[in-house]
Amino acid sequence: MTTLPRLRALVVDDEDLARHLIREYLQGHADVEVVGECENGLDAVRQIGALDPDLVFLDIQMPRLTGLEVLELTGRRSGVIFTTAYDEHAIKAFELHAVDYLLKPFSKARFDDALGRARALHAAARATPAPAPGVDALVARRGAALERILIRDREQVHVIPVEQVECIEAQGDYLAIHVDGKCHLKPQRISEIEEQLDPARFLRVHRSFIISLAHLQAIERPGPDRHAARLRSGKRVPISRSGYEKLRELV
Amino acid sequence: MHPFLADARKLLWYELAWLAAGVGFAALLRLDEQADWPGALAFAVPLCVVWSFDSLSAYYVCRSQPYRQRRWPVTLSLFGAASLLSALVWLGAGEAWNYLGGDILRGRAFVAMSPPGWVLYFAAGFALYLLSLLAHDVLIAFETVQEAARREAESRVLARDAELQMLRTQINPHFLFNSLNSISALTGFDPAAAREMTVDLAQFFRRTLALAERERIALGEEVALSEHFLAIEKRRFGAKLKTELRVSPEAAQCLLPPMTLQPLLENAIKHGIRQVDGGGTIAVDALVRDGWLHIAVVNPVARDGTPASGHGVGLKNIRERLAVLYGSRARIAWQRSEAQFAIEINLPVDKESGA
Repeated sequence: MTTLPRLRALVVDDEDLARHLIREYLQGHADVEVVGECENGLDAVRQIGALDPDLVFLDIQMPRLTGLEVLELTGRRSGVIFTTAYDEHAIKAFELHAVDYLLKPFSKARFDDALGRARALHAAARATPAPAPGVDALVARRGAALERILIRDREQVHVIPVEQVECIEAQGDYLAIHVDGKCHLKPQRISEIEEQLDPARFLRVHRSFIISLAHLQAIERPGPDRHAARLRSGKRVPISRSGYEKLRELV
Repeated sequence: MHPFLADARKLLWYELAWLAAGVGFAALLRLDEQADWPGALAFAVPLCVVWSFDSLSAYYVCRSQPYRQRRWPVTLSLFGAASLLSALVWLGAGEAWNYLGGDILRGRAFVAMSPPGWVLYFAAGFALYLLSLLAHDVLIAFETVQEAARREAESRVLARDAELQMLRTQINPHFLFNSLNSISALTGFDPAAAREMTVDLAQFFRRTLALAERERIALGEEVALSEHFLAIEKRRFGAKLKTELRVSPEAAQCLLPPMTLQPLLENAIKHGIRQVDGGGTIAVDALVRDGWLHIAVVNPVARDGTPASGHGVGLKNIRERLAVLYGSRARIAWQRSEAQFAIEINLPVDKESGA
């Protein structure tokens, strides 16, 4: 006879009653222990980092940060059960990536199912650790254009609305995000963020540069066949030949 | 029907122009010494009047060849044939009127036209009809453009009406399912509260649905509906959400478009209270002063809050709705300070007639 390994769970939802319900449903499962509760996304980022729970019940629509943003910032990919009341977009994405989710209000039976699957996945992951590919894809490609960029700087989280971003520069494994004369570093590939940004507002003008069209002031020609973008802040960004073609089509 | 024939004023100006042309034609005949003045006028003016109606027929010829479906060889042959036919009719009418009419009225022909004169007369008829065809083409193109513009404006109005209808009956699914989830949670440990919440939810939706066909409701009704809404939200958010509603009895009687206040409260919770740690108070003040209804909604917002996308969309919707219903007489303004968001709506006072 095997005893189930104990699971440490974190419950993230901004509604007290919603957390209460999950705790109540969990009472029947002696192997699951609720180690923490969070009522907003920022708190969730901290607690996931501090507690490293085996299981996270994660609401999608939350103040400060959405559930998906929490995952992006923490790098957490496995042991997540999403909960949402109604979010057509998220649900489509869950279906697409075969990720388990609970639609509020959910029954005890449905909850137990999801928990059972998570338990099995957890056991399998302990044998051979691997991130859940579905969640990974879900976090990377959120469908709708990115509205804000999240940067985690030790314990601090910066939330930068994309309209403030002047340009994004690839620097090795990092992106340098230029905002208001400041520069934030974020570990991400430029091609990945290019896919997430609204193509009507941001343009990859160079192998290592994306500019915001709203911040573009002029296109300069420092030499024959060479172009550069001058941004409102005065910053200059090189434009490649194909970048120039794309820019000409857009502007 | 030809637009000139449908509009007496246009027809009058058109006929006057042709009468003038008739006099001009007579003057030419006189100058060329083809006739004396009475003869020239008696010949030219009636013919021009008849001709004026004949050239209107060009409208139907043009209409038979809609611009987009034209095959130019066909159209050009048709235009040529129509002009030729008209010129023949014009020539026949001219000769007949000259000899028969003249014979009857004066005992001799009106004009003593030479054969080259008749040729010229025939050519002029041909050219004029062709000109009329081209002018009608332009006229029809102009009409088409106007019609398209009118239709577009109409469809915009229709779309807006549909949107208003939708807004009025809008049931926010997010709110519905979250409320049901809260009720589900409450049944486990506070069945009485669960029952109350169910009743509030039912009342809120019942009242919302009842608004669908109404143009205006009293503010008091909207406040009653909003109170059910707030009761539900207070269950969901607990002590985080506090409200202060101050609605003067006079303001409660004022009419306004349904679902004006409730979306503001929904926004105040979604973008304000929910984002603030520890929540806060939403204050609603409504009063009447100098023939104006003033409604103000003030709520706290997160200090470090990012400009939440979507906040402006709801407000713009309300502004558009008010603009449709009140024109420039309605005012809605909002202002965000560091920790507070304030909206003020001013509407002309409109009370239940006969009340």
